[in-house]
Amino acid sequence: MIHPSASLSALLGAAASLLPAAHASAASTDDAINRASYRFSDYDEDALAPASVIGDGKRYRVLSQVFGLDTRIADGRFDLKLDATHEVMSGSSPWFVLPDAQQRPIQVLSGATIRDHRSALSAALTSDPGARSNTTWSAAYSAERDYHALSAGVERRQALGDALTLGYGGSFSHDVIEPTDAALDDRIARATKNSASAFASLAWVLDRDSVLQAGVQLNAEHGYLTDPYKLFSYADAIIPEHRPGERAEGAALLRYRRSFAQIDASLHVDYRYAQDSWGLHSHTLEVAWYQGFGSGWRVVPALRYYSQAAARFYSPFALVADGRVNYSSDYRLGTFGAFSTSVNLRKAIGRWELSIGAERYHSAHGLALDGGNAAVPALVDFTRAYAGFDFGFE
Amino acid sequence: MRAFRFDFPSMGCPCSLQLEAADEASAASAAARARAEVARLDEKYSHYRDDNWLARICAGARGDHGIEVDDETANLLDFADALHAQSAARFDITAGPLTRLWDLQRGRLPTHEEIDDARARVGWSRVSWVRPRLRLPLPGTRLDLGGIVKEYAADRAAQCCRDSGVMHGIVDLGGDLAVIGAHADGKPWLAGIKAPRDPRQPCATIEIAGGGLATSGDYERALVVGGRRYSHIIDPRSGWPVEGFASVSVIAASCLVAGAAATLAMLLGIDEGGAYLRELGLPFLCVDQAGRPSGSIETLA
Repeated sequence: MIHPSASLSALLGAAASLLPAAHASAASTDDAINRASYRFSDYDEDALAPASVIGDGKRYRVLSQVFGLDTRIADGRFDLKLDATHEVMSGSSPWFVLPDAQQRPIQVLSGATIRDHRSALSAALTSDPGARSNTTWSAAYSAERDYHALSAGVERRQALGDALTLGYGGSFSHDVIEPTDAALDDRIARATKNSASAFASLAWVLDRDSVLQAGVQLNAEHGYLTDPYKLFSYADAIIPEHRPGERAEGAALLRYRRSFAQIDASLHVDYRYAQDSWGLHSHTLEVAWYQGFGSGWRVVPALRYYSQAAARFYSPFALVADGRVNYSSDYRLGTFGAFSTSVNLRKAIGRWELSIGAERYHSAHGLALDGGNAAVPALVDFTRAYAGFDFGFE
Repeated sequence: MRAFRFDFPSMGCPCSLQLEAADEASAASAAARARAEVARLDEKYSHYRDDNWLARICAGARGDHGIEVDDETANLLDFADALHAQSAARFDITAGPLTRLWDLQRGRLPTHEEIDDARARVGWSRVSWVRPRLRLPLPGTRLDLGGIVKEYAADRAAQCCRDSGVMHGIVDLGGDLAVIGAHADGKPWLAGIKAPRDPRQPCATIEIAGGGLATSGDYERALVVGGRRYSHIIDPRSGWPVEGFASVSVIAASCLVAGAAATLAMLLGIDEGGAYLRELGLPFLCVDQAGRPSGSIETLA
């Protein structure tokens, strides 16, 4: 996006409530209706402290590249977005947890270094782009050596009067899991999973500077929801973990956007609460500040807090065989809280916009608002850095 | 696609709609809707009338508790409030008493006493505006939304045409233009920028494919005394007309924003106004008192 000067932003901000939404938003971007973009990012998890770890403490690293194209087609009646992603993943991941003599958890990491590639393509077609009422159809395909996912969705935005917009839609995904070395490691050879999602939201234009959006989302998953690579220390045995074959999740979200046009800034506040049938519930609060500095400079610092209470069947290990049916020591199902701080710096130069940024994420059991006392030894800290550009053309 | 043209007077000036539609019925229906919208806004906000919505709002706002205004009026007042802030108090919708002192019909310069008297009744900062409640504590304060409403009406008329399914056309309200959409073949519209000294004679022709063009100048209701022109652009802080550009034209994504930019540049005068226009980065054309054009709008003739 090419950013207008501070005085033009102030003028556009002041005029926004008097203009049709499409024109108010079109006014804040540059005239180019086609955009190409490229972004490279490096996601790097911190190594685990060697004292409580068996195996190579060096964890996951993902190098990803995303190419994007956003273009108007059919005389401007449709907007087509295409994204192509390629990722290279390497490193070891948490495998299972063993109790030591004092029943404290020792994390065992997958011995062999994983090295895999993921390629994904996604497309989204929007009718009447820029209009206050429009429809978007989307489809995506993602492929790894052991995982294939195909998804499709539709989303409708409907203006209800001048200040109110209704959004609703749904999506469906079919995933196929074919774990590597299945016969060797007593893993399932092939499994599938289906997911469906429906959502609805209402956005209110509160005044010329602020918008509030509230929404609900329902997700249902059915099929093989277990991680085929994770094991569980169950009494004296180390066996593949096992999760329920169904999961339902409900989520509510609130988004607030307020622009401070006279200082070329805007505030974004997002909150999300989610609860699922596994007993997991989570809060996410994110605050971001978009600040322009004229001459095309823009900086976006952001802070995100996340708190999760564990799934009912999470525990690092089971000391005695208690007949439980579902069990997992996946840290992502445990109780933890996390802080993420990030900063993004952008500079527009003519039709180009360059962007660089970094994020630091820290999670810990003690940061959670609520949840059980079960230890979560493999909680992750990571650093993500990225750089990319946008190019607008006629 | 066939081309249709509808001419009509409104808001005290000649107006026209040029539309491209599949048939006459579609064009006529869109034009009727657009005209009705322009007429509605003229009726609601004209400051020449004492019996309309604006006059009733002003009357109601004089009470101790003021009056709650409708959303559209509130949006216009918010916009006027922002322009007042962004122009260091030069843009002022309460400046009506001053503007009338400099009206062509009077044929003479106002006296210092008259100017001081009018200034005492003028000042947006003396108005209490806490959306949606408006209160006018000073007796005799009147609001004049003329500097905004015509451009707003042009954008609204263009949107009415789009809502009626006519996607190619241009709205012209007395030289303030809002493009509905480029010609059906994708080519831009040719539009004339009116000359400051003779509004019927365009001083430049430009291509415009979207958004709006607005011109602010001293060709309307200008007072000429002793061979000297006193523009209808009054600096409410001094009570005297601004000596600056003869006209400023701006192209923006909407006629409303173009008009606000042009009006603010006129109010700021040659040096400050010129710097403001360059800072905005929107295409503009200024004409100075000697009729010399300058600016970044590419003209065809």
